[in-house]
Amino acid sequence: MSEVQLQNITKSFGAMTVIPNLNLTVPDGSFTVLVGPSGCGKSTLLRIISGLEMPSSGDVLIGGQDVTLEEPSKRGISMVFQSYALYPHMTVAQNIDFGLRLARMPAAEREARVAEAARILALEDYLDRKPGQLSGGQRQRVAIGRSIVRHPKVFLFDEPLSNLDAALRTQMRVELAQLHQSLDATMIYVTHDQVEAMTLADQIVVMNAGRIEQVGAPMELYDRPQTEFVAGFIGSPKMNLLPGSAIGQEEVKTVGIRPEHIAVTGEGGDWPAVAQVVETLGADTVVYAKAERIGDVTVRLPGNIRLKAGERLSLTPERANLHLFGHDGRRMEVVQ
Amino acid sequence: MTIAAAKRRLPVSERLRRSLSNGRVTAALVLLPPALILFSLFVMLPLGESAYYSFFNWNGYGTPTEFVGLENFERIAGHSIFHTAVGNTLKIVAVSLFLQMPLALLLALLIHRKTPTNAVFRLIFFLPYILAEVAAGLIWSFVFDGNYGITASIAGFFGAESFFILADREWAFAAVMTVIVWKYFGFHMMIYIAALQSVPEDQIEAARIEGARRLQIVRYVQIPHIKPAIVVSAFFAIIGALQVFDVIIPLTNGGPSNQTHTIVTYLYTFGLTRLNIGFGSAVGVILFIAAITVALFYQRIFMRGKQA
Ligand SMILES: Nc1ncnc2c1ncn2[C@@H]1O[C@H](COP(=O)(O)OP(=O)(O)OP(=O)(O)O)[C@@H](O)[C@H]1O
Ligand SMILES: [Mg+2]
Repeated sequence: MSEVQLQNITKSFGAMTVIPNLNLTVPDGSFTVLVGPSGCGKSTLLRIISGLEMPSSGDVLIGGQDVTLEEPSKRGISMVFQSYALYPHMTVAQNIDFGLRLARMPAAEREARVAEAARILALEDYLDRKPGQLSGGQRQRVAIGRSIVRHPKVFLFDEPLSNLDAALRTQMRVELAQLHQSLDATMIYVTHDQVEAMTLADQIVVMNAGRIEQVGAPMELYDRPQTEFVAGFIGSPKMNLLPGSAIGQEEVKTVGIRPEHIAVTGEGGDWPAVAQVVETLGADTVVYAKAERIGDVTVRLPGNIRLKAGERLSLTPERANLHLFGHDGRRMEVVQ
Repeated sequence: MTIAAAKRRLPVSERLRRSLSNGRVTAALVLLPPALILFSLFVMLPLGESAYYSFFNWNGYGTPTEFVGLENFERIAGHSIFHTAVGNTLKIVAVSLFLQMPLALLLALLIHRKTPTNAVFRLIFFLPYILAEVAAGLIWSFVFDGNYGITASIAGFFGAESFFILADREWAFAAVMTVIVWKYFGFHMMIYIAALQSVPEDQIEAARIEGARRLQIVRYVQIPHIKPAIVVSAFFAIIGALQVFDVIIPLTNGGPSNQTHTIVTYLYTFGLTRLNIGFGSAVGVILFIAAITVALFYQRIFMRGKQA
């Protein structure tokens, strides 16, 4: 039982309030991803859970126990840092079993745990090296290894893959997903990366300026964003957010339509437009068009469609896939 | 065949032509002479000269004529005050390494974080180092004064008889070493502070999460990180100890009964003030050889293998 609960958490640095009031439950065994723009307080929240930072008020519960005043090492958590935070003067093996040595675990058990972690993370051949002699991906694995061997109830990750190149990131993403399945532990993961969030999470928490905008499964956020912010944040390319007048509904502040939910015809559609930029990505073609009286509209088309910049288009949004947002920025239920 | 191997097999003329054409030789020819001339003029020449004088009985006036061979060195080797001076210098080395450096490290660990209070403490602890040596010596000679100094007040407070520590054969050198520690710990502290500030914060946080307590973080994270700084500061401590001079002259001037000489004050007292320039030069040569030996061995033992 290692559910994480945050109750009425606030956090201020001096006069600046970073987290005004936050409640969140991370279910036992879930892979919860925190996303949000830079500076919105994701790392701060993670550090509050880890105990590296004290909340200004509110409670942190792990596995039902109030750990708000507990030392980080007593919380049954482990953390993987963006910079890996490996000790350069220790070998890989020493880095991995550092915490176990501090806890005076018998050597035999220590070795068994290190061996197990090394096997899971394919680090067997590197145990005697120093971190300086490893590649970025290998260092990241050592950092993960260090957090595995302590058998924590909750894993915390702060942008662990952001220093890796795209190919390695994809590979590590798959490995993390496998790790989550095999360890069956609760994981809380901070990222900037849409794809990481969508593929890894079974629960995404979208944050904005210290507040939670929406919590839900990836497809739930994608299909039914509850706020205009979430609509614009989840999905790539971004959802088109247009004035209500685009669909002739003045009481709607913003109407959202994903780029893949717009049909393109030669003429006769709703919005006459001119293609400005055409990106051929292979599987998809993304067209950035300028629509008359509406503004910039992004359209995603199948890869076999050939269009040129400057071409005249006619765009038609799929009615069923419109997202309407009122003046409070919240989702309006469509009454058809 | 590797590129390096191919390079090695080039004929000398070809190599010379290449380095000429890529400008390296030209740069060396242009840039090296000023440094070489200055170095020989102000370092090598005086050294060679004093090595030369050390074989003469010479009072510093006129040209040295009375060649005495190794007699100066023999006299030094048999001089009991020189033995005391060497012993004292070794004591300073020991105190610098085993008292001053740990003290500096402790203070650095306490005040290395960037806060306004720490900045004030840093300045206070660094002040003795900025102070001129002679001034420091004078200040402390007042402190230790048995009639008017702080020691006198303290003795008076406890109703004890006042004492003249700098005139005490047993304790004078302990007082001198106190002043030396006081004068120079700030320097080492600053080296450690700079090094400690470069320890990545997240490594310390990672250690906290792993369950390391404060002292364990110091031992397993911070000290290993600043080891190069410690090695360098120990080097300065040893070389500095070999050269202690200016603090001692105003404090004790080597007394009482020549008990508080260091190698350099010995040189000064018995070489310069008594106009035995040949003798003093011989002491200088010995000191120079000692310093060079330390420097070479130290580099061999502690300052290599940084590439790993
Ligand atoms: N120790 C601190 N002192 C003062 N302000 C801080 C401190 N730590 C964070 N902040 C502020 O709190 C806000 C949230 O920071 P935080 O690091 O949590 O953002 P983040 O969501 O992790 O951003 P990023 O995606 O760029 O990592 C920022 O405005 C930051 O300037
Ligand atoms: Mg962050």
